[in-house]
Amino acid sequence: MNEKKLGMPSIIATGVGLIVATSCLLSLGQGAGALGTGFAVSIILACFINILSALCMAELNAMMPNLTGGLAQYTLAGMGPFITIVTMVGGYLLCQSVAGSVECAMFGNTINSVFHTGIPSSVFCILLLVVLIAANLMGVDMFAKIQDVVAYGLILSLLVMGFMGIFGIGTGTQVQQQMNLATSASDYFSYLGLAFFLFIGCEFVIPLSPNVKNARKSIPLGMVLCLVIVCVMQIVMIFGMGRYTLWGDLAASSSPHVLYGTSLLGRAGAYWMVLVSIFAVVSTVNSCINFLSNMCAGMAKLNLMPESFTKQNKRGAHYPGILMIGGIMIVVNATGLSNSSSLSFMILVAMVFWMVSYVMQDINVLIFRRKFPKMPRTFKVPFGPLIPVVAIIGNVFMIFHIDGDPAVRAQIFRLDGILFVVLAVYAALWCKYRLKRPLFQPYEIKEVMAMENELYIPAHKRWEEKQKAAGKMAKTASAR
Amino acid sequence: MEFSEVSVITSLNKLSSLKSALSHIGVSGMTVVQAIGCGVQNGTQEYEPEKNPEMELLPKQIVIVLVDNEKVNDVVEVMKKELYTGHIGDGKIVIKPVSNIIRVRTGEEGEAALK
Repeated sequence: MNEKKLGMPSIIATGVGLIVATSCLLSLGQGAGALGTGFAVSIILACFINILSALCMAELNAMMPNLTGGLAQYTLAGMGPFITIVTMVGGYLLCQSVAGSVECAMFGNTINSVFHTGIPSSVFCILLLVVLIAANLMGVDMFAKIQDVVAYGLILSLLVMGFMGIFGIGTGTQVQQQMNLATSASDYFSYLGLAFFLFIGCEFVIPLSPNVKNARKSIPLGMVLCLVIVCVMQIVMIFGMGRYTLWGDLAASSSPHVLYGTSLLGRAGAYWMVLVSIFAVVSTVNSCINFLSNMCAGMAKLNLMPESFTKQNKRGAHYPGILMIGGIMIVVNATGLSNSSSLSFMILVAMVFWMVSYVMQDINVLIFRRKFPKMPRTFKVPFGPLIPVVAIIGNVFMIFHIDGDPAVRAQIFRLDGILFVVLAVYAALWCKYRLKRPLFQPYEIKEVMAMENELYIPAHKRWEEKQKAAGKMAKTASAR
Repeated sequence: MEFSEVSVITSLNKLSSLKSALSHIGVSGMTVVQAIGCGVQNGTQEYEPEKNPEMELLPKQIVIVLVDNEKVNDVVEVMKKELYTGHIGDGKIVIKPVSNIIRVRTGEEGEAALK
């Protein structure tokens, strides 16, 4: 990528391309099916909280610019290795693996809902994954050049179909139904968790900053614009859906976007939605595999994951990460992730971890403000601690309203609790035996920045070997 | 009006963006001196685990601007933001009081010499 080549349109294309996944359309259909147009309120609230978190992450990026390991470095410098491992492995590796798997499952469901092949959906998922793993291993960023076309194609398609529904110019039969199914404010809050899923991923714009023109302004603005565009697009779709599809049918469908396409334009609408899905799935899963393998490599640089994740094949791909992530997705899909109830449950379980990692970033902003009040920040969230605090409250609120059904909520928290315990044991053992550092002692920022340097690990290894050799020599000398 | 000399000892990159940002806030005139030197790390590279026992002098530059005291804070803020990378070697800013400024060609002094 050439230096400073990306402008605002490319930032928006990348951001929206990552945020809009086919599984978002499932969540949209399920939310709309439950609340009707009332789901738009949940969407706006979730978008607002995400904007606040995005601004906090932009401030962290301004303090520690041009880091490749995602949010791991900020947490390492703010809270130490234990929380970094738990939130990054849980919030990103685990969550993205689930989200990527769900995305693949949606691909299979979409194909079968239109073409009725009789072949199990998981076969399509696994085939797609194999192709994407192979493409990533070849170091081919197959969508880097056409990301703009794909993303704007998605935005335009969804907006056009949404507005066609709103203005009643589809070829299908319009339905008469109550538009807003929410009966109280708590209904809006209970679907915040699902609405949150429609906006995740805007932070993946941050690693683009070294290649962006006027990154200081463009990155925060780009993240906010991505979220607003996605918000508008989803709301337009909900209102369009309300004119052509019964809410109950949307809620029951495993491919609600295809159902809406069919209701709006017949077979042509279904094919259009299949095309939209394929673009969304391939770009999202491809980015997901690529991002996670790079994140594993970034964490390995920080000595937070096994060093083998830094290995690259001759085409420059971090193959251990690609194979691991791809493998996890294949296993999850092969075990039968193909009905919408298990899909949305898996999404919600993963979302809790993702929201927790957002909360950690908001807390990091407050920690750094206190520890380094005079450090230059090329972007600083206005109004003092207000925005990070509101973002924390918002995210915690969303976690506690992850699902409207208390029984499902308890089930989600139980599963998340088990995952947390497993991750905590792994993190504690890693800190004690591998890092040999206190669990909660933050690293200095200069050390975190230095760890980005590819010479850091070799230089430290050489030094450790020297120390060991010197120690042995001293022992031998004293024995004589 | 009183004046100050604001100088920054920094690494060799980022001169162009610093020049542009200083121009943007109305600073006209700067002097850049190429130098060698090191800071408290004795010139140790940031990835190295041990600090150099002796000072290792690295290529640096010194950027000097003369401004009236009212502008010092703005200039310092711009320098801090433009030169900040978070890595060791971003630099040190030094502010010194200046008793007078004289333009040799015209003999103008003080504020007139800065215009």
